[in-house]
Amino acid sequence: MKTGQYLNSKGYILKIKLFGTHLKNRVLLASGVFGFGLKFKRVTNSVGAIFTKGITAQPRKGNPPPRIYETSSGMINWVGLENPGVEYFCTNIIPQLKKLKTRIFVNIAGFTMDEYEHSVERIGDTVDGFELNISCPNVKEGGIAFGQNAKMASMVVARARKKTRLPLIVKLTPNFCDPLVIAKACVEAGADGISLINTVYATAYDIKKRKPLITGGLSGPAIKPFALYCVNRVRNVGVPIIGMGGIVSGQDAYEFLLAGASAVAVGSVVLRDPYAPLRIIKELKKFIYQETKHAR
Amino acid sequence: MIRSLSIIKKTWFSKNTFGLEFSLPGIKPRPGQFFQVRVNDSMDPFLNRPISIASYSGNRLLLIIKIIGKGTNILSKRREREQVTLFGPYGKGIVPKRQKSILLAGGIGVAPLHFLAQMHYKRKIPFTFLYGAKTYDEIILKASIKHMANRSIFVTEYGSGRRGTVVSAVKGMDLSDYAIVYACGPQAMLIALQQLHLPLPVYAFCEDFLGCGCGLCLGCAIMYNGTYKRICEDGPVFELERIHFEN
Repeated sequence: MKTGQYLNSKGYILKIKLFGTHLKNRVLLASGVFGFGLKFKRVTNSVGAIFTKGITAQPRKGNPPPRIYETSSGMINWVGLENPGVEYFCTNIIPQLKKLKTRIFVNIAGFTMDEYEHSVERIGDTVDGFELNISCPNVKEGGIAFGQNAKMASMVVARARKKTRLPLIVKLTPNFCDPLVIAKACVEAGADGISLINTVYATAYDIKKRKPLITGGLSGPAIKPFALYCVNRVRNVGVPIIGMGGIVSGQDAYEFLLAGASAVAVGSVVLRDPYAPLRIIKELKKFIYQETKHAR
Repeated sequence: MIRSLSIIKKTWFSKNTFGLEFSLPGIKPRPGQFFQVRVNDSMDPFLNRPISIASYSGNRLLLIIKIIGKGTNILSKRREREQVTLFGPYGKGIVPKRQKSILLAGGIGVAPLHFLAQMHYKRKIPFTFLYGAKTYDEIILKASIKHMANRSIFVTEYGSGRRGTVVSAVKGMDLSDYAIVYACGPQAMLIALQQLHLPLPVYAFCEDFLGCGCGLCLGCAIMYNGTYKRICEDGPVFELERIHFEN
C-alpha cells in the first residue's frame, strides 16, 4: 500500500470515492446484521454506507429456530434470508431509508437468475447501489450455487448489469471455491466491486440428541484470518474490494485495508455492541493518521 | 443504551445461582424486559447474555443469573465493585393487568416473574405465586415471594416439601377465581402447560439464544400466530396458546 493513499485533496483521511459515489468513511455496515439500518440511527448515519438485509423477489419467513448459536470467538447463523420481499421493500422501506444520512446498498438475494434481475429492476435507481448476494449459505437452492461457479456467477452479474447503471457489487462466498476465479468472472461480466467474505459453512452438534443442532454460516473474529486471506487473494482483480469477516476493532479494519480492501464492512460485532462501528471508525482513523503523518 | 455499571452487591442464592445488583436511576422497566450483559472484554464468549430483570425498586436493579455454561460461569466470578457492561433494557415486556392472577415459575424462570410480582404488589393486584424447582435448594427468593404474594406454593421434583411440577400443581387448582396466568420456565414446562389448555389466558415469558437482543439480527425467531416473531423485540412475553414450539 502506498503511503498517502488515504489522503484526499481536503486532507480527510477516511473519506473515499468508491464506484463513483462519495462515502464519508471506509467503515460500512455489512448485510444482515443491522436490518435496514432504521434503528440506532446515530450509528447508521456515521458509517460510509450500509448494506441492507438481503432482499428476495418474494417475501420469506426465514428458517425455524434455533437460528443462531455461539461458538468460540464467533457464532453460527441460520436465519435463512427472512425479509419482506422486494415489493414491500420498495413501497415501505425505501422511503424511510432515504432519510438516512448514509449511502444505501441493497443486498439482493435470489433463487433464480430471473429473481435477481427482477429485484434489481424493481428497485431501480432509488438507492445508491446493489450488492448481489450469490453467497448465502443458509438457503437450499440458488444463492450460493451461483457464487461457487464462475459461469453462473458471471451470468447473474451480466443480467443484473443490463438492468442498472448503479454500482454493482458482488458478494462472494469462501465456501468450496476459489474466490479469485469467481471474482474475475464477475468483473468481466461488469461488476463494479467485490465484497467478501460471506459466512463460512459450519455445524454445531447437540450431543444429547446426537445430531446437528444448527448448520449455517460462521462469522465473528474466528473467521478473520481466513477472510484476510481471501481478500488478499483477490486484491488484484481490478475493482475496489470491500473486505469483511470478523472485524471487531480499528486494527482489524486496518489489516483488511493492508490486505487490499478499499473499504471494510463490520458485521457480527454489532450483535455484541450495536455502537461498535463508531468505535471502529475512531480507531481506524488513528491507524491511518499514524501511517499518513509524514505525507502531510 | 450502553452502560458500564459497577456491581454494588453480589448475592449467592443457591450453589449455582447468583444475583448482581446495580444502581441504575431513570429507567422505567416493564416485567419481561431484560439486559444484554457483556461477559467480558475478550471476544470469547462473543455474544452478550440476555438476563431478565428480577427486581427494580428504589433505583436498584437486580439481575439473577444461573450458571449454565461458559459465559454465565465467567460472570459468576465477577466481584463487587467491578464494572459490567449492560445494554438495554430490551424487549417489550408487559404491563400487568389489574386482574387476579397466577404466576407460574419453573426453575430460573422465577427471575422475571419476581419482578412481575413486585409490580403486582406495588399496584395491590392480588396474585398467587406457584414456583417449582428440581430440588428445594434451588428455590430462591422464597422470603420475598411469600411476603408479596397472597398465596405462595412451592413444589419440587425431588426432595422435601410438596412434590411435583408447577404444571401438575396448577392442574389440581381451582382456577375459577383467577383471570390470567403468567408463566416462565423451561420450554418443556411451557409445552406441558400449553397442552393443559387452561380456561384462562396464559402469557408465556420465552427464552432463546439471542444475538443482538434488539431486533437487528433476526436470530431469535418464535412461530407465533403463523408468522415468525422476534423474541427480543416483539416479546419476550407472548400468549401461550398462539405459540407453535418448533424445537
